[in-house]
Parts: sequence; structure tokens; C-alpha cells
Amino acid sequence: MSKMTNVIGVHRLQSALLAIVIVAAWEAACKLFDISPLILPPPFAIASRFYLLVASGDIWPHLWATVVEIVSGFVFGVVAGLVIGAMVSLIPVIERLIYPYLVALQTLPKVAIAPLFIIWFGYGLTSKIVITALVCFFPILVSVVAGFHSTDRDQLDMMKAFGATKWQTLVRLRIPSALVLIFAGLEIAAVLAVIGAIVGEFVGAQVGLGYLIVALNFSLDVPGVFAVLIMLSAIGLLMHGAMRFVARRYIFWIGRNDAPVMA
Amino acid sequence: MKIGIMTKLAVWSKGSGDGVHLPEPDRSSPALIRIAGLGKRFSSRSGEIVTALSDVDLNIRDNEFISVVGPSGCGKTTLLRILAGLETASSGTVRSGGELITEPRPDTGVVFQQAVLLPWNTVLANVLLPSQLKGDASAATVARAERLLDFMGLKDFARKYPFELSGGMQQRVSICRALIRDPKVLLMDEPFGALDAMTRESMNMELMRVWSEECKTVVFITHSIPEAVLLGDRVVVMSPRPGRISEVVDVDIDRPRDLKTMGTPRFGELCDRIRTIFGAQAPMVSSL
Repeated sequence: MSKMTNVIGVHRLQSALLAIVIVAAWEAACKLFDISPLILPPPFAIASRFYLLVASGDIWPHLWATVVEIVSGFVFGVVAGLVIGAMVSLIPVIERLIYPYLVALQTLPKVAIAPLFIIWFGYGLTSKIVITALVCFFPILVSVVAGFHSTDRDQLDMMKAFGATKWQTLVRLRIPSALVLIFAGLEIAAVLAVIGAIVGEFVGAQVGLGYLIVALNFSLDVPGVFAVLIMLSAIGLLMHGAMRFVARRYIFWIGRNDAPVMA
Repeated sequence: MKIGIMTKLAVWSKGSGDGVHLPEPDRSSPALIRIAGLGKRFSSRSGEIVTALSDVDLNIRDNEFISVVGPSGCGKTTLLRILAGLETASSGTVRSGGELITEPRPDTGVVFQQAVLLPWNTVLANVLLPSQLKGDASAATVARAERLLDFMGLKDFARKYPFELSGGMQQRVSICRALIRDPKVLLMDEPFGALDAMTRESMNMELMRVWSEECKTVVFITHSIPEAVLLGDRVVVMSPRPGRISEVVDVDIDRPRDLKTMGTPRFGELCDRIRTIFGAQAPMVSSL
């Protein structure tokens, strides 16, 4: 066990070293080749702009708005995906009637409908939450449907041989089996949620990190744009990490190394 | 001994066609399981009809250990699935204790080729599953599960998860699971086929120990002739396409048997005889 921790520790150290090397090379390249900060600002400029945004307190309303959009959009999208996915998987009539339309709807680029949502739901948070929810909905739906179809045939036979009712098979076998793919869907949705919220803000907003990027870009504050980008990727990483944390707790029987879900 | 004296009555098995047909249930019969004129046809994807089993007649006594041996594709797994109530017969009847088998029966435990344990449940919870499905979570049942695990040498693994166990240990858990509700009949479908030779031998010994302790009627499917002879009171030899019974061989070797039994001349003779039956139908499959 301690050997494992050691190996992970060494790997982390190597990653950190690589990051330091890249940042140093970046800084050096900016100085050496005299690259305009309008094109590629040096890391130090980005860091000081980041500090300024945080210290002045200008960032907080934007950060708050975007986090609210991401989290509530994610929650609504996941709940809807779970409920509709379960209905599609378990009620054959609904699968026949609705699933083809859901698949057709999925092929629609969600970014393209975003302007419509601004008209329908206004410039406030609601329109972004709806877009985020929609973006999160499909990976969850697909993973729930695939998850319920992934139940092992031998396990189904085993449950049947020991006289399990349909309900018992669902609760004791099909739902736990589906969890593996559902968590894969959750990881994808967690990352997509950030994209959904930002796209919504790009199309039309008065507050939020996406709005801030557009505004900073407009005033050619490129270090500021980079600073916000760092913040966004931090949010994405947090969301993804949270999903992985939950997955490890609830689908602990999946091997940590050989599972594509966790990779 | 559940039917007592009746089990001592002579029981005939019907080989290829000879013997008397008894289509009506005969409740005074000494046979626990009666298979009469059993046939099973599947339609394949391309629409053609595949006959998996044809005209299978067999009577199995109470507490008898029946080995079923045959090359792959001889329908032995299909036979077991019909006995387990997982498949329905296309023709003929299968009765257990006089009742037609149409669905899985509570007095039957099944051990599959793979252990098929639920990976999110502990070993103990996996063993308890059949009881829990029937709403029985009593302390007595838990005690029985722990006793079974103890008997199988898994005492310290009750709170572990299946992925922490080796293949042989997992299969032992699945045997405990099949036994938890104290079934009359134990159906085993090549349970040790996936295990290495050493583990397989020790599992055979383990199974004989369980069988002598628990007194079950066992139908044991295998593709290994020595395994079939070592374990069985009778060995049912099946032939493929369509799957039918070629012969039923009585194993007249005294119990208790152990690995040394496999070195005795009588054991070798019986194995040879079964090999000859295979050789007669298809020289290719006599290699086992």
C-alpha cells in the first residue's frame, strides 16, 4: 500500500515539475521573442491580473452567477436524464414512442438553439440554466439507457433461477449494474455543464464568467481573459473530481486501473 | 434421505429408447426427477431450426449424484437450464417430485459456469441472496450462511467483496449460495470448468464432502470424463446434433472416493468405456 502511495507521489511530483518547466519556457519565450502581450501574455502577467480580479472583488458576482448556472443546470439535467432514461429503459411503450425523437433532438447542436432560449427565457440566469440542463441531459439519458441494457445475462439468469421478481431484479441487479455507465455519463455531463453555461453567457448575458470573457476580450485585456479561463478550467476540474469522488464511493467494485470510466 | 425406503428401490434409467414410457406423473415413483421424451428446438438468427435436445429420457433418484458428460454442443447446458426452469421444453415433460417444471423452483439451487456473484454485495450478502429474495432474513438463515462459508473454508471472507477473492473461492461462494435455502436438488453447469487443474481437483473433493454432508440430488454437467466418473453415481453420456443420451454408465466404485480413486483400475476402465462411447459416435471428440 505504501509502495502504491509512493509511486503515485512520484508521478504527481513529475507532473508538477513538467508544469513548472512549461510555465518557465512560456515566460522565457515571451521575453526572448518579444511576443506581444495582446497575443500571448506571459504567465506572470496572467497571474497578477488573476490576483487583481480576485483582490478587487470584481470577479465574485460573475463567478457566483456562473457557478449557480452550472450547478443548477447540471442538477436539473441529471435529474431529467435519470427519470426519462429510466422510463425509456423500463417502459417499452415509451421507448418505442419517445426514444427516436429524443435521439433526433440529440443530433441538434445545442449551441445553435441557445439564441432561441435567450428569447424564450430572457437574459437572466434561467436561460443559461436551461441550456446547461439540456447539454447535461443527453449524456445522462444515453448512459442510463445503455446502463440498463448492460445488465449481464448470466446475472439475470441467476436472479431468475433463485426466483427473483421483476422488482427485485430491478433493485438488486439492474440498477446497480447501470450505475457504472451512469457514473461515466455523470463525468461527461459535469464537464459539459461548464461549456453549456459559458455558451449561454456568450449568446446573451449581463453577468457571469462567459460574459466577462467577452467583455475583457472586447477591451483587449488578454491577460484578463486567460485569468478567467484558468478559473473556468478550475471549476471544470472540481466538477469532474467531485463526480469521480462519488463514483469511487458508489461503484467501488470497479477496478481503479482497468475501468475506462475512471480513466 | 427424504423419501426414506423408496430411495433404496431399484431405479432404471432409460437409455436410447428402450424402457417404459410413463407420461403420467406417478407419485409413488422412487425417482425425484423424471425426464420423459424431452426435446428442445431453438430457431437460430437465420431462421433455421436447431435441435438442441431430442428424445431425452432419464429418471434421477433422490440423493443421487448424476454426472452429465458430452462434447460441446450436445445440449447438456440446455438440459440443465430446462431442469432449472430457465428454459421451457419444446416437447416431452420434466417433473420434479411429480410436478412439472415450468419455472425456477424454490427447492432447486443452481451453480453456473461462472460464479455470477453480485460484485457490489459482500460474500455473506451474496450467499444470503436467495433467502432474501424470499423475504427471509432471519438470524437462523444468517447462521446457516456462516456455517456454509465456514464449511467451505471461507469463514474469514464473509465481509469481503467478490473481487477480493480468487476464482475458486468465488465458485465456492456460489455453491454456498445455491445451498442456502437447503434445496432438494443442486444443478451444476460445468462449475469448475474455468478453474485451473489443481483448484479443480480440490473443488471436486470439496464438493464430495458437501454432498456427503448435505445429501442433495445433484445434476453435475462437465466435459471432463474423469471428473464425471469421480463424482457421479451414474454418468449420463450425451452425443451432439441433436443432443441425446447415448448411454448411462453406472459408476460402481465405493464411496468415499478421493483423488487416489482416480488411480484404481476400475476408474480407468469406466473412463475408457465412456471414451469408447464418444469414439463410436465421433472419433474427433474422444481426446478427453
